[in-house]
Amino acid sequence: MADNGQDDGLIMALPKGRILKEVMPLLRGAGIEPEPAFEDPESRQLRFATNHPNLSIIRVRAFDAATFVAFGAAQLGVVGNDVLMEFDYPDIYSPLDLGIGRCRMVVAEPKEVADDDNPERWSHIRVATKYPQITRRHFAGRGVQAECIKLNGAMELAPALGLCRRIVDLVSSGETLKANGLVEVEQIADITSRLAVNRTALKTRSEEINGWVESFREVADAA
Amino acid sequence: MNELPNKGLLPEGLRDVLPPDAAFEAEVTSGLMACFAGHGYERVKPPLIEFEKSLLSGVGEATARDTFRLMDPVSQHMMGVRPDMTVQVARIAATRLSQAPRPLRLCYAGQVLRARGNQIQPERQLGQAGAELIGSPAAAADVEVVRLAVEALDGVGIEEITVDLNMPTLIAALMDDLELDEAAADALRAALDRKDAAAVAAAGGEAAEILQHLLGVAGPADNALAAIENLALPAGAARERDALLETARLIAGELSDIRLTVDPVETRGFEYHCGVTFTLFARSERGELGWGGRYTVDRGDGGKDVAEPATGFTLFMGAVMGALPGPQPANRVYLPFGTPPATTAGLRGEGWVVVGGLEEVADICTEAQRMNCPYVLQDDDVVAVDKLS
Repeated sequence: MADNGQDDGLIMALPKGRILKEVMPLLRGAGIEPEPAFEDPESRQLRFATNHPNLSIIRVRAFDAATFVAFGAAQLGVVGNDVLMEFDYPDIYSPLDLGIGRCRMVVAEPKEVADDDNPERWSHIRVATKYPQITRRHFAGRGVQAECIKLNGAMELAPALGLCRRIVDLVSSGETLKANGLVEVEQIADITSRLAVNRTALKTRSEEINGWVESFREVADAA
Repeated sequence: MNELPNKGLLPEGLRDVLPPDAAFEAEVTSGLMACFAGHGYERVKPPLIEFEKSLLSGVGEATARDTFRLMDPVSQHMMGVRPDMTVQVARIAATRLSQAPRPLRLCYAGQVLRARGNQIQPERQLGQAGAELIGSPAAAADVEVVRLAVEALDGVGIEEITVDLNMPTLIAALMDDLELDEAAADALRAALDRKDAAAVAAAGGEAAEILQHLLGVAGPADNALAAIENLALPAGAARERDALLETARLIAGELSDIRLTVDPVETRGFEYHCGVTFTLFARSERGELGWGGRYTVDRGDGGKDVAEPATGFTLFMGAVMGALPGPQPANRVYLPFGTPPATTAGLRGEGWVVVGGLEEVADICTEAQRMNCPYVLQDDDVVAVDKLS
């Protein structure tokens, strides 16, 4: 009963991919050891037990980690503030900056466009992005209507192939932009991963949840 | 050309409630109302639609964004469908019942409509039930309404209730003390609503330091109240804190038998409140069951005391129903065609739900099961169907 998650167990949603490698040391530092299948790339399992009978882990896409926490299907999660800003779920708290997955969200365009472009004159622009809400809000803030083309990856291809002239995307080193002939023209936000907590879970199970937040805080502060 | 794809399709956020859930919701609502009535709260029934101007003034201002509007063809004034009933009850207290003796205890239940839902709660038509205690500034009034909300929820069978006490005016006083400009204060408030520690830290300065402390104290009441008491705050916020703490302590003392948490930075939904507020949660439901707290009723009668202290709460029936296990199956008994009315009346008197046959059937057990009746009447005795077949 204890670890079935429906009744009393806590569920933590972790993002697949790049960030997961950075999450693991924090997880271990907080004293959480997932079952061996978690790190087996061949495993088709989606849900994993840990050394804590009361805590299990699910491994989902980065955007879905936020959704699971927002709806209370997972009580805890690791979510980038890019995803938090995009969804702006009122039911997710982010009480701790884990300081991992550091990157920046920027507007980029081909170098030749940047050279003779006057953003003052824009009333409407077309942007390829994985973050249509953030993009629309950002440009609306300066009186520009942004028409967003939602892509799920390889944004850098869009300008070269004539889909649109600008993209909003995450960059860390800037190498991918450069390789595709794009330059960064504006930064929208600094991005890091946060420990996300479901609002109702924090209210109704405050001791347990605060306990985990504190464990992660100690590890994140020490790092 | 404009034909709907399917006549069963309803507009987004609206739905039909079917048996047995519709009856169950009505039963739970009347259970809550009976509890309010038992504590001397008298029921009022405001209209579904009223003039926008009265609906959205004073305590209603915060709901302007959520209001369905339409034009009254008679008066040519804009009208709004109520997005919340508290504001209507406040209007009644300030107008038609302005001469009624204080404190005035009123309760209500009804449907409200919101112009849009959100991702987490897409419903646009919601049931509300609530109680308002108008005209008393006493902390005892705050205690009474929290207690009433908990007693009513407990009475209809909600388990593991948590009351989260909030202090929206503490944040407001703090923002004043720190002399933050409007934009900076809004950004901080948004960050506090999401408990976004990184965004609060990024604000920098004295504000960030104090608010980070406040973020950290949220939790079980005993510890949180002690921590809030010991916080170093600027003068204005400290005065506000002391007043809020007194009421919060009183509530905590009176409600020692339930789970009580304190979260001083929660301000959502409390735009018009002016003292200790509270949010009700149950472990089995992801949304809040209700909220309430101190506010002011604008008398608006041109008299000297234009504002009147009030406190109360609103429960959201969708969340309340979500926190309850389903309804008990009804004791339905199938009566064969021709059962005398006197027999039917007798069974009704014993509490049976009777379903009368309209014609002779070959096998009454099969027919009873088809009609969702676990019992049949056979030779003047009520018999369980599964005993017969």
